[in-house]
Amino acid sequence: MSEVAAQKPKRALPKSRIMVAEQTAKVYQDAWDAKARGEIIGWSTAIFPQEVCEALGIPVLYPENNAASISAKHLGDELIQHAEGPMRYPMNICSYARLNMALAEKIQDPAYDKADPLMPSPDFLLLANNSCTQLMKWYESLSRDLNIPIFFVDCLFNYDEEAPAPHKVTYIRQQIEHYITAMEQFSGKKLDREKFLEVQKRSQINSKLFDDIIKLNSRTPAPLSGFDFFNYMSCLVLCRGKQSTTDIFEQLKLEIEEHIANGTTTFPAEEKYRVHWEGIACWPNLGHNLKALKNYNVNAVINGYVTAWNVVYEPGNMDSMAAAYATSSTNSLSTNSIMNMRADTIKKYDCDGMLCHVNRSCKMMTFYIFVGRHIVEEQTGVPCTNFDGDQSDSRVYSEAQFETRLQGLVEIMQQNKEAKNG
Amino acid sequence: MANLNLMLQELQTIAANPRTMLDKYLAEGKKVVGCFPIYSGEELVHAAGMIPMGIWGGQVNPSAAGQYVPIFICSIMRSCLEYGMQGKYKGISAVVMPILCDTFRGMSGAWRVGVTDVPLIGLIQPQNREVAGARDFLAAEYAAVKNKLAAIAGRPVEDAAIAASIEVYNAHSAIMYKFAEVANDHLDIITPKVRHAVMKSALFMEKSAHAAIVGDIVAELKKMPAHQWRGKRVLLTGITAEPDELLEFLSENNIAVVGDDLAQESRLYRTAIPAGNNPLDRLAAQWMERKACSTVHEEHNTRGDLLINMAKKYRADGVVICLMSFCDVEEYEYPMLAKKLEAAE
Ligand code: SF4
Ligand code: SF4
Repeated sequence: MSEVAAQKPKRALPKSRIMVAEQTAKVYQDAWDAKARGEIIGWSTAIFPQEVCEALGIPVLYPENNAASISAKHLGDELIQHAEGPMRYPMNICSYARLNMALAEKIQDPAYDKADPLMPSPDFLLLANNSCTQLMKWYESLSRDLNIPIFFVDCLFNYDEEAPAPHKVTYIRQQIEHYITAMEQFSGKKLDREKFLEVQKRSQINSKLFDDIIKLNSRTPAPLSGFDFFNYMSCLVLCRGKQSTTDIFEQLKLEIEEHIANGTTTFPAEEKYRVHWEGIACWPNLGHNLKALKNYNVNAVINGYVTAWNVVYEPGNMDSMAAAYATSSTNSLSTNSIMNMRADTIKKYDCDGMLCHVNRSCKMMTFYIFVGRHIVEEQTGVPCTNFDGDQSDSRVYSEAQFETRLQGLVEIMQQNKEAKNG
Repeated sequence: MANLNLMLQELQTIAANPRTMLDKYLAEGKKVVGCFPIYSGEELVHAAGMIPMGIWGGQVNPSAAGQYVPIFICSIMRSCLEYGMQGKYKGISAVVMPILCDTFRGMSGAWRVGVTDVPLIGLIQPQNREVAGARDFLAAEYAAVKNKLAAIAGRPVEDAAIAASIEVYNAHSAIMYKFAEVANDHLDIITPKVRHAVMKSALFMEKSAHAAIVGDIVAELKKMPAHQWRGKRVLLTGITAEPDELLEFLSENNIAVVGDDLAQESRLYRTAIPAGNNPLDRLAAQWMERKACSTVHEEHNTRGDLLINMAKKYRADGVVICLMSFCDVEEYEYPMLAKKLEAAE
């Protein structure tokens, strides 16, 4: 989810990537500037109704995204150790949480400068539990430690495959409305409904654009190395409702169309195999992942994680918005729902296999793999392979295991291809 | 005394052999519905004329379950799935699963593929209890569960029946609370292991039957002179205090349990179902009043204070934090609890 994350570029960065870096830098700078002016700033979970603070002009930063960036720069270990050591958190909880709770404590010292990017300390928290329940416990801890309020939108969990029942939508809508009033009181600002609607519309434009862009990678060979998408996710997390994200996505779309027209790609080798990557990236090990994939000519053309940020609803319709937040994170869906989606994607992107990250931090995503991979295998006939990792805790990933598993997957994909062609 | 021993022995046997109880109820022609920990709307199962039975897994080294659950989830859920896949819950008509944590989110999928002969009824509690709509939401959620249970029971579940079951559950909670109090005057008889068995047996019995036995135990204990316990006194907090070896270790070291905040034990009983007209609203209102439980979101956590007050009230020398490995909700609270309790000394 970090624009600093991916491969070391041999060529100059494309313009869209420079724009992402500038946008992210501005979001952080705006928060620091507001803090310096004595104004409030918030920290938010990744898929929270950001439209409200965006329309109110209150800066918000995103710990999950921030933890990803810090981890990709190999600066996370010290923080994780601080959480497990002096702060006494068990090592079994999500490493994003461990990293961030440690950071929250460290930044209380104004001289602290070891993390990058550094976030200012928040004055409030925005919590939506649509990605997991751990977020709720994590934010409870932050709220206690920093003595700041939580604005909570409980998004429930869709334990079956039906669309959220009306009583669920009503409860979530009431919470968003309650949040608007509470935030108006807390910030002393009045929500301009026109602006709110504008932000909603902008969010929809951006979601749609990103969806279109991702679909372009279904071409064979793919115009992008699938890992490139990780570099643009921050746009949807940090700036889902901003014009600058539209500008970036339009630029990115142009660049991809250019690749298609020229028959070029950002994947640094011949694309012999296409796989679906399941789960979060191993941020500290992204370089190794990419190198191994390149060596085996495997392009991870698509992954479920980058599609998790699309929150699609009808602007101006609060019920529709509520339902979207209840179902937008794929983690809020039942295994059947999510794995049927994955199988569908694998077919559409013509993938030869699925590479699943058994993420030691994330019980939710790992359950999906364990419970659901047979759905994918049955529906698509493609092989699935697991490897062990973690999105931030560098102790879990093993380079040797990743290569062995990847090699095994490639062998099966090769046999399947030969059988198909022969 | 002989009678008391027999009753305590009976509850210990039941706590250790839930399958025997399941077979007994099935042999009586009753339908049994499994209730996953910890707040699964048991009253509705009871009102539907079926037996709610706790699903807590057990001491087993999972093998089959490894296909569907990662190694890094709590042993309770791993063993529940293992038992389910091994057919140990055969005969149960359905299970109700409250989605209280990420492991439950995952388990709801794992159960459906792993244990296909026992259908799953999902239930989700609202965690944002600040908005008025939370209670209505839960009442509607309970209504959905009720309808699914009625289909299994093959009969409608009337409001009057739910109200009657609520009385049974409130009376049971009250007697369990009483037992916990009276037990502290008889720490020689109500050892940590015995106390745990009295608490745990409740999970596998129809509640009025359990309440009757516990009521008799309380009456017998009250007839006896209070015992002057000279050992140490502790509170237990966490999900469970299992296995029995842990409790035996306390006894061997002359340590008594004088109170608990365990999800498997007193957390179940400390919040009465409030009065009201509509029984589903009443059940929802109970959730709105739950406090100091790691599975329930609180704006300001009250668990530390609860334990400190309990420690004062029961003159506890210490608190044992029974930290369930891989239980996120407990693991996030551990540092706060440990620091708060240490500071209170
Ligand atoms: S990585 Fe998993 S456990 Fe951690 S915050 Fe994200 S969804 Fe939750
Ligand atoms: S609350 Fe804890 S013990 Fe209970 S199912 Fe969840 S992880 Fe397991």
